[in-house]
This record gives sequence, structure tokens and C-alpha cells, in this order.
Amino acid sequence: MGKKILRINMSDMQTSYEDVPEKWARWAGRGLTSAITYDEVDPTCHPLGPNNKVVIAPGWVTGSPAAPSSGRTSFGGKSPLTGTIKEANSGGLSGQKIAKLGLAAIILEGVPKKDKWYTLVINKDGVEFEDASGLIGKGMYDVDEILWEQYPNEPAVIGIGQAGEMKLSNAGISVNDPENKPGRYAGRGGMGAVMGARGVKAIVVDDTDGPGVDIADADLFKQGRRKLTKAIGKHDLTKKDGGLNAFGTNVLMNIINEAGGLPTRNFSAGQFEGAALNSGEKVAEIVEERGGEGMTGHSCHPGCIIQCSNIYPDEDGSALVSCLEYETAWALGANCGIDDLDYIAKMTRECNDLGVDTIEAGNTIAIAMEAGVLEFGDKEGALKTFDEIREGTPLGRIYGQGVEATAKAFGVHRVPTVKGQSMPAYEPRAIKGIGVTYATTTMGADHTSGYTIAPEIAGVGGKVDPLADEDKDALSLTFQAATAFIDSTGYCLFIAFPILDIEEGWAGMAESVAGVTGLDITGDDVIEIGKEVLKMERLFNKAAGFTPADDRLPEFMRYEELPPHNVKWTMADEDLDEVYAWVQED
Amino acid sequence: MITVEVALYGTLARIQGGKYVAQTNVQVTNDATIKDLYEDLDISPQDRGYLFINAVLCDVPGLNAAIKEKLHDGDHIGIFSNGYMWPYQYRDGAQMSESLTSVLKEHGPLHHTYKKEE
Repeated sequence: MGKKILRINMSDMQTSYEDVPEKWARWAGRGLTSAITYDEVDPTCHPLGPNNKVVIAPGWVTGSPAAPSSGRTSFGGKSPLTGTIKEANSGGLSGQKIAKLGLAAIILEGVPKKDKWYTLVINKDGVEFEDASGLIGKGMYDVDEILWEQYPNEPAVIGIGQAGEMKLSNAGISVNDPENKPGRYAGRGGMGAVMGARGVKAIVVDDTDGPGVDIADADLFKQGRRKLTKAIGKHDLTKKDGGLNAFGTNVLMNIINEAGGLPTRNFSAGQFEGAALNSGEKVAEIVEERGGEGMTGHSCHPGCIIQCSNIYPDEDGSALVSCLEYETAWALGANCGIDDLDYIAKMTRECNDLGVDTIEAGNTIAIAMEAGVLEFGDKEGALKTFDEIREGTPLGRIYGQGVEATAKAFGVHRVPTVKGQSMPAYEPRAIKGIGVTYATTTMGADHTSGYTIAPEIAGVGGKVDPLADEDKDALSLTFQAATAFIDSTGYCLFIAFPILDIEEGWAGMAESVAGVTGLDITGDDVIEIGKEVLKMERLFNKAAGFTPADDRLPEFMRYEELPPHNVKWTMADEDLDEVYAWVQED
Repeated sequence: MITVEVALYGTLARIQGGKYVAQTNVQVTNDATIKDLYEDLDISPQDRGYLFINAVLCDVPGLNAAIKEKLHDGDHIGIFSNGYMWPYQYRDGAQMSESLTSVLKEHGPLHHTYKKEE
């Protein structure tokens, strides 16, 4: 049985199951959300208006048996934060369940005629439109709990918090984790506001008795899966008790800080004196000291063998929040001058409940601190900003719009954004390749779009001097293309470490995709296929009005030296323009 | 005497009361070097991994390239335990001191430990 596209029109409350057209047949995950957005969404539309869509797609191998760490779900459309095309992907329960229902994608389009909210219930029998008025005003912790009580079989819950209801540009889309907590987010770019604009508070996905995922070539799939699983299990970063498993993504905190690339106090320094107190190592110590429900080595979705998530315990050992990622601990920590993990965890819980992206939220608080609304290091004041958002006060709505809106409201000129989206936890002046990615990616400032941090800091996949300008354009494009491919597979991006370092892992990834899909893909095709995805995204952005002049880092990074290396952003504009020159040439 | 801030990662953290991470201020003599700091903290050669001074990579496991580096008041020293994390955590991917650069030129670059399997 071939996969179907489930189209849900909120204007007329009609649904249809469509055969996957030939033009989309080779895509999944990010490749498919971007292809559908490119084909069906007017690049000039208002992201919150009737002509935008939310496209939800599991990856090629998501839902296939025992493909390691492959539970990602891509969410795509036009971003209200950036005005560009957007793909944000998440772990959690949704990807595997959507795939096992035989769905290549769900397209959510239109807007309800009445100001009404719905919960969409999707199972093998079709789609039900349920009244969601009882969920309105509730945060995602309550929403997840209520919907698991209401529906059987522990379904996936895709939802938006109050931020999405208010259609704030920093609203993300939540996916419940195996413990039914809202710890997994397609956070970046405001896709939660786009979902809110469709009048959808939540989507419940129950895959019970679904058709499952067809495997075109079982032997090839098993061969690829075995190679990839072996590489993940062998690499020191991804193996059991390796860096990610023991300390989570926050293992990067001390590594980046020691190298002078940790943005501190709104990108005014590259080292934070309190970094060790916010690090993954400290989280592990606290988990062991407090006991109870806290844990490291937590899975964000069934079948993950890296298990880099964690559950941070409160002082009494009860679960406070999952997950304290590196980006989160940085954004709400070093970048705000805060070195208290308990407060960082409380703020993370607020983000997960309200449904806002932690990176943009932390950067927004740092802007408020830069403006003098709060002092750097004011953890109580930082925590209270989330009350403003929850209550929908004018100030809260400004914060909920993210960094650029907040900077304009308070007259701040040191604004660490590209194309409207704020930078993650790597200082581009100290780590030049990531700066090229921030500047040129189709998504706005986004580290996951081209994880050049791997060779520059972690020593994975090559040797690169982070402070040099040379060859960073080619490096960034290669990583952006590889990332676009990985984001289409359904595999977690952290397989990038073992596949870049262990040749057999790279081949295994491609072979497992070929085995599931029947597509003629080998490791040699990865970069070219990734570039096809990038090209669609780049052309969408061009039609939306973006030009190479938008591929720039903020001005202050050109004239302000970053301690301790005392470096400025010196990459020439012409070199940045080289990254995507091939799209114009085609 | 001068004061330097020392961060210890991995098993070395136990020296200063942590399990995986510890950060503390250490007083050393005005002319102290990294060698003196190693001795003051009782860090044996086999336990020494990557070492940073003020965000500059000064040593990698097995080379002992930093022992003559002089310490200054207010320096931040980061020391990763040997074998902690992954084997080429920084490789050439961080700004390096002159002495480490010199030793690496003589010694040859660090290499991947993962080989293609036959």
C-alpha cells in the first residue's frame, strides 16, 4: 500500500486522503515539508493568513522497525518570525505514529469560518474534528494530560500552548514525549502561531492497527541499519555512556566555553564565569544527588539508542522539566548572566508549558536585560517574564514576538538575529563557520541547518580553525546540504557525529533510506539530494523577497570585538554570497 | 601570590569536591607555571587531558606542551581529564598556544581514531 497525504481543510472542515503525487514521491521529512510549501504556499502570503499551511511529515525511515534514533517529525510552512520558509523538527511520539498510519504527510490548511478551536483526532478510521474550547487557555502540561485521559492507546499529542493561541511569533509546536510531557518542540520560527491561525489547539494521533511502514528492500534496509547502529554505538560521543548519553547535549557547555565561543550576556563575551554551574556535568551531578524521578540517558522517542535527553529533578526529586538541552541552558543561562540550574529549569518548564522556543525566549530576555528592563543575572525577573506572556499583557505579547520585536520596543541596537531569528549558542565571531551558516541558511540564524560546530569545536569530521575565514563558505554549504538530507531521513541530527567520522555509518544511513523507500540512494548522493532541498527553500525565500543582502550577520559583530579572543566578524560579503551562488546559476 | 580560576572536568573534578565538574580559585606563587599548578593540585601526567588558558588550547593528551606556560593573576584554566569525552575533542579546532602549535608541528597532527572497517 502506498503512502497517502492527509489534507485537512479547516475552512470547510473537509479531509481527503490523496495519493502522493510523483513530484513529491521521493521526499520525506524536511524535503517533503519544503517541497509542499514550495509548491502550495504563496511565498508572499501572510504567515498567519488563510494561505499559509502547516505541513507535518515524518522522515523516510521513521516508523520502520528498529531504525536507530529515527523518530523525528518535520513541521513546515512559512514562518511568522522570519518570513522565510521554515522547517522545524521534533522528537517525541508523533513521527512514528503518523508514519505507521501510512501517511507521508499531513497538510493543515485554511482557517475556520467561526472563531472556534478544534482538536483533530487522527486514527486508522480517519479524522474527527473535536471541540477544543475546554483546552483554550491551558498550557501544554495540562493539555497532554487531559488528552491522554480522554483518548485511548497513549496517543501522540501535537499541540500549542497559550503563545500559539495568541499567534505569537515565538510560538512553537509541542510533541509529547514517552512520559506524555511536552518536552519536545518544533520550536524555532513560530510554527505554533501558524497552527493556531488554523484554529487547531491539538492533534491527537493514534496509530493502533495502522498499516505500518512498507520496506521496499528488507535486506538493504537491515544492512544499512546495522552499519548505522554500529557506528552510533562505537563513536565516543554517541555510544552508551558516551558524552551525549551521560551528559546530554549540554555536554557542549564547558567545551564551547573553554574555547571562548559561548555567547554571554547578549553576545558581549565568549566566556561565562558560571558556565560550569550550568553544564551537562552539573546536571548529572544534581540528578545523582537528588535522586527520585531525575535521570540522564532519557529517550525523547521510542527506539532512540543515543538517549541524550534528561529529566531535571526538583529539590525533592520530583520531575521538574525535560529536557535541559545545551541551547536551552545557554539561552536562559549564560546569555542572561544566570548561573542557577534550578531557575533555568523553571524557565524551561515555562517555555514548554506556554509553548515558546527556549532559544528565542532566552535571547529575548537578554535583550530586555540589555535594555535595562532587567539586570543581567536577575533570575527572578527573568522567570516573571513568562507570567507576562501567559497573561497576554502588552509587555508579554512583545516578549512573545521574540528578539527583534523586543529590541525595537526598547531601542536596542545590539540584536543577534539573521532574517528575524535569533542566534543559538555558538558565537559566530569565535566560530566562523557557524557564522556563515547563521548568515546564509534558508531558515534564519540556525545552528542545526549546518552543524559546522562539529569540526570546529568537537573535532568531528575534519580539522578546521574556528577563528579563520578561509574555506568557511564551502564548509557551510556541505554541512547545510548534509543536514537537509538528515532532516529528511527522520534520523536525529546527532547521527551526524558518527556518520561524519565513521565511513560505514555514512553509507549505512543512505542504505537504510534506500532500503525503506526503494530509491536509488547511496552515500555519494547525500550532498546532491540535500542541495535539491536547499534549492527549493532558497527559491521560496527569493520569491518572498529575500536577496543575498539578507545573508548577513548583525552590524555590531563587525565593529565590536568579542573577548577573550578579541575577534570581530570579518567574513567578506562576497564569500557569503558564494554559498548559494549555485542556485542563481542553475 | 596570585589567584587563578581552575575548572576541572571529568574524574579530575574529585580533587576539588565535584564528581564530573568543579571550579575553584587557586592561589599560586607569582612566578608559577602550569607545572606548578599540576603539582599543587596533585594531577599526575597520565590524568592530564586538554588544557585551556583563557580560551587558548595549550595542551592535548600526551604532549605535555603547556608545563612551562606562566600563570597570571585572574587567569582561567580549564583542564579536562585524560580520556574524558571523545579522543580528539578539539584536535585543531580551537585557537592554540604557540608552544602547542610548535609541538604539533614537530609531532604531527592528531588523527582520527576511527578507521574504515575492512
